Amino acid sequence: MAILLKFFVAGLVRYWLIHLDYWQTIANRVEIATPLNSWKRLVEGVYLYDRNINPYDGDSFHESPIMLVFFHYLMKKVPYLLPLIFTVLDLLTAYLLYKTSKSFIRIFKESQEKHVSETADESKSMLLNDTQLDAASEYVLSVYLFNPYSVLNCAGMTTTVVQNLLVATSLWGASNGQRMLACVFVALATHQALYPVLLIVPIAILLADVNKGCNKCSYIRTLLVFVLCWGFLIYISAFIMDGSYQYVYNTYGFILTVPDLKPNIGLFWYFFTEMFEHFRLLFVCAFQINALALYVVPLTLRFKKEPVLLATVLIALSTIFRSYPCIGDVGFYLALLPMWKHLFTFMQQKFIVGCAFIITSALGPTVWHLWIYSGSANANFFFGVTLSFATAQIFLITDLLFAYIKREFTLKHGSSRQVDGKPAKLVLR
Amino acid sequence: MTCLLLKFMVIITTVSNVLGDDFKEEIFIKPLPPTHLYSYFQFVTLVNSEKSFAHSHLSPRSLGEIISRFQVDELHLTLTEGQWRHKQWGYPVIDAAPGAELYAWFSQEVTDIDDQWRKLSATLSGLFCASLNFIDNFNTVTPQMALWPTGPVKGNTNVTSLLRYASLPREIVCTENLTPWKKLLPCESSRGFSALLNSRMIHNTNYHSIGVHVRNVCASKDCTETLLEIKQTVALVYDYKIINSYDWSFRKLFGQGLPGACPLSSASTIYVDITSNDTQPFKLTPPPDRIVLSQRGGSDTKLAVYDIKADGQMVNIGVKQDTKEKLQLTVPPPLHFNRYVLGYGKEFGGIVTDLVNNYWTAIDVVLLENAPWWLPIQLSSLRINGEAESKLVKSMFYSPGRSRQKPYHLELLIKLPPRSTTTITIDFEFVFLKWQEYPPDANHGFYIGSALISANLPTAKNYTSIPINGITYDSVINASKPWYPAVFRTNGAMVSLPTPDFSMPYNVICLACTVVALAFGPLHNICTKELVLKPVGTPVSLTQKLLNLFKRKKD
Amino acid sequence: MRILIIPLLFFTTAFLLNFNSAIEIPENFQKSNHTNNWAVLVDTSRFWFNYRHVANVLSIYRSVKRLGIPDSQIILMISDDMACNPRNPRPATIFNNAHEQINVYGDDVEVDYRGYEVSVENFVRLLTGRVPPNTPRSKQLLTDEGSNILIYLTGHGGDGFLKFQDSEEVTSQELADALEQMWQKRRYNEIFFIIDTCQASSMYEKFYSPNILATASSLVGEDSLSHHVDSAIGVYIIDRYTYYVLEFLENVHPNSQRTMSEFLAVCPKSACLSTVGVRRDLFKRDPSKVPITDFFGSVRPVVITTDPIDIVDIPKRKKTVQNKTKVPEKRNYLPQFPMHLVQTT
Repeated sequence: MAILLKFFVAGLVRYWLIHLDYWQTIANRVEIATPLNSWKRLVEGVYLYDRNINPYDGDSFHESPIMLVFFHYLMKKVPYLLPLIFTVLDLLTAYLLYKTSKSFIRIFKESQEKHVSETADESKSMLLNDTQLDAASEYVLSVYLFNPYSVLNCAGMTTTVVQNLLVATSLWGASNGQRMLACVFVALATHQALYPVLLIVPIAILLADVNKGCNKCSYIRTLLVFVLCWGFLIYISAFIMDGSYQYVYNTYGFILTVPDLKPNIGLFWYFFTEMFEHFRLLFVCAFQINALALYVVPLTLRFKKEPVLLATVLIALSTIFRSYPCIGDVGFYLALLPMWKHLFTFMQQKFIVGCAFIITSALGPTVWHLWIYSGSANANFFFGVTLSFATAQIFLITDLLFAYIKREFTLKHGSSRQVDGKPAKLVLR
Repeated sequence: MTCLLLKFMVIITTVSNVLGDDFKEEIFIKPLPPTHLYSYFQFVTLVNSEKSFAHSHLSPRSLGEIISRFQVDELHLTLTEGQWRHKQWGYPVIDAAPGAELYAWFSQEVTDIDDQWRKLSATLSGLFCASLNFIDNFNTVTPQMALWPTGPVKGNTNVTSLLRYASLPREIVCTENLTPWKKLLPCESSRGFSALLNSRMIHNTNYHSIGVHVRNVCASKDCTETLLEIKQTVALVYDYKIINSYDWSFRKLFGQGLPGACPLSSASTIYVDITSNDTQPFKLTPPPDRIVLSQRGGSDTKLAVYDIKADGQMVNIGVKQDTKEKLQLTVPPPLHFNRYVLGYGKEFGGIVTDLVNNYWTAIDVVLLENAPWWLPIQLSSLRINGEAESKLVKSMFYSPGRSRQKPYHLELLIKLPPRSTTTITIDFEFVFLKWQEYPPDANHGFYIGSALISANLPTAKNYTSIPINGITYDSVINASKPWYPAVFRTNGAMVSLPTPDFSMPYNVICLACTVVALAFGPLHNICTKELVLKPVGTPVSLTQKLLNLFKRKKD
Repeated sequence: MRILIIPLLFFTTAFLLNFNSAIEIPENFQKSNHTNNWAVLVDTSRFWFNYRHVANVLSIYRSVKRLGIPDSQIILMISDDMACNPRNPRPATIFNNAHEQINVYGDDVEVDYRGYEVSVENFVRLLTGRVPPNTPRSKQLLTDEGSNILIYLTGHGGDGFLKFQDSEEVTSQELADALEQMWQKRRYNEIFFIIDTCQASSMYEKFYSPNILATASSLVGEDSLSHHVDSAIGVYIIDRYTYYVLEFLENVHPNSQRTMSEFLAVCPKSACLSTVGVRRDLFKRDPSKVPITDFFGSVRPVVITTDPIDIVDIPKRKKTVQNKTKVPEKRNYLPQFPMHLVQTT
């Protein structure tokens, strides 16, 4: 009942915000709408497509052709329903996340029982009981429904809403062992925004874990299904665009080469505004490798046993380091964090990170206004804010990982911090 | 000596006439009451030899070589300072966009037109001392409906694909452009009407525009042979305030009298529009050779004509106003327009074009919006009189722009209802450029070029253009046609793009990389190291630490 | 075909008209083996308050043009439009002094690089000849090993750099390397380098290529000062050094016997308020024996040859023999409007 009420309130808030007079302002905010996901560009793309002008001819549209056709259909048939559709899609994402977290907790419980023998006696009390675990999924739901980042993202009617739904569905599919579902949706998400390609790693591990049996066969099968799906989507998209692969330059090419330097909450815009032209390619490659490839292998090796944590961290890292991030992405991975509620006690920078989130969220729009509208600040101010926002997110993620390994250590060795009766401290070696 | 020279020149003239080159010079002067005066110079060279410029007589060889080398069929180049005010001044003979404007039709044999176009603009930039070499794909459009070749074309030619159009609204126009322009004339600036073009005087005007227009014209009625017409024009609008009196004369306007015609010209004629004499009487001195009444498309024009001879006698045509106290309201022309930029801040904006039809019938116009790539317009935001789907639009062409590669190009064929104002708005978004892409004076603002308005006027009111098959100005006399096509340029606009801090590159690169390192370091630690307990001594207080530091120093 | 030619030309036409006798080079003048003269005149500053720099560069332009270097061999770079600037109360003029004695802009001026085109890249490309394809001849420095080049730079500078357009700068090392590249490519015979800017001498200190005579309006640590202000225009209108240079050059004629050493001493410290720097060590000739027209004029030594010269008949270009049975196609004028799209009722 309480859950239904939550859904109702959250849906109402979203629906109401979309019908607000300030909707234009929300939909145009740089923090919410990027060149990739903005509603304005979607409308422009659909408008051009409707007039038989290839939207990928120009620079105004960067969504995938599948989204183009999907929204073209919606805008032609049910334009009045669009606000409702966006609200419903977002609520659906919330519901799927809720379901996913339930499954995750089931997985978590199983692994806790499996490893209970390795736990030190004095740490037994730290093991989580059912009520604690069940509360987590409630939190996941609430955070997604009422987090201002997600709410504003939905109110801005960005395509990130769809993106979040696709990722949530694939996670849900993976947590229930449904390979086809998980792979199709992660392929869809990848086709739309490229960065979710990272998720195939935790999903493959999850599927292998859930389905039991031959691990390697499972990995290969998952990968194969994913690649086939992705390839099929690329082909279908080209088919939609009359066999032309021109759209690839405007979607993946646009994401990878960062030609549009409109400010957003990420690190790319000012960096590549100020970059020297002859170093540009080098740094584009470095930054994209950092976002796409650098952390996958080491983190996978380290957290092989915790695919859920791996998924959370990869989603978060790709959000921080992607070329066009928006607060909708941030809201999504923030919703996954309550699953790690039990780690919060081990985190050291909760306060700092919390304050940084609040301050940057308030300061961002302020300095933006000062720079763009009143002309009394300059680009450095907004850059400073985005920089500290990124720093806060990085602190949050690294802190979470540290908390995890600390808890792992404590479970194994007990909570006493003493070596041979002498006080000791935890250090990395 | 002079006499001998003249005889020599006359001989040259006759010889060149035999060879087919023909040079004519004309001035058309029209008062634009109440306060302005329009003078239009036109120097026409007709060249018979269709392709070869190896032997040129009166035609400028430097230009001719460019035309034949780049296989240009038709070329229009104007360099303009100031804005023609259509509402007050009516229509000029040839309209021009502020700054530099270049468009050309290439021959059908050209395979890579874009490449040829860049070569042409680079070469012309050397010839006219203008920065035309800044013309590249990213500021070039191919108008689909607005521009048509003024020369005759063979039956089934797809002229549109051969056309390229670019304008540089920032271009300044000064003596250095006039100097090479004058050198193209057979008499240069020593003789003839071009001797009036004194740099100091013509740059002290409200509007000045120099142009070179090359096209083919029919050599005969059946039009199987063509001649090449090279037309050099100057348009000036003087403000009576600048010359400090309502009475004008050549001496006041150009700093000197006219030292006779160019001996190489086959005709040197001056036309003064004296239609306004009826309402604002003035006296023309010396009296004209003849007065011609022209009835054209529902408007009567009286022209005073002077035939100037190359006898080296100073001519100083002038006007004395009879009454000065009479103020007169000007009737705006049948079609006029205004264009401006909407919005505040540096994030979103809009361009508005108001088209006013004063006439009692509908007027068809083509509007060409040419937005640079750094000003992306959104077609979905196009509104005509506030409507997204307007019945006024008969045809539309849109080519979306691409950053650093091609501009946004929108063309609308609109039927303007009688006695109405049509407002066309379109939104744009400001683009954030890379810091090295900003010009040295980034905060000066960025110029948006004029929109082109190609109109099919049903009336010749305020219309002064030469009919398409005419060469000299006398062809306007009684040249009634069903339609009077004209291409106008709206005023340009200016926006200021958001700028980054130009002094920051190193700082920004360092800071952003530091943040990336902030993630890399801990993640690297987590992945490669393991947690261990390390014994520590008894916790030392801060004071103790400081004391320890001192102790060590003492040691 | 064999013909005998006695080339007796290469004087500028203007020169021929004015003087009937050939110029005699005084005995004490050292022989120069240059065959042509070029000038690269650069004003690097934008914005109205830098009016004086444009006046500087145009002063030199006026002089070299008067002394016979044709426009095709003068590369004039001006960063901003002062003459037709809306703030100029007398359009299309630039004066060297408040009494409006000399309109240095004149009625016959050809600016080769202007506005945004004046950049460090374009300047270095011009010097080294590495211009992009399609660059018109007027924007190229088509010099050879017989060219004497006058390079004049003015703008805002500091110790070791010269600012371009207030947004980028060329360093003295870059300039020295560009000149060395010119030397290696045999793009010059001798260079006379003048720079009028603050701490100007720092710009030539790094030069290491031979045959360069350099002078600067000020030494390192000194400012180069402007001459006087014109209250009608509202800005300083010329720099001291160039003002006196122009005064000197106005009295130089194509056949004058002034020497480079006179030119180098044109602005004593009492007049310039800054010390004029000179660098002679790279220059092989004695400046006191070099006529000023070796750099500022286009007076060339005449070589008379009595040897017969073979001129091989240039093979005529094959005319593309087209069947001249071109069917005359009828052409017609198009309506100047998309009439096919307008419904005519």
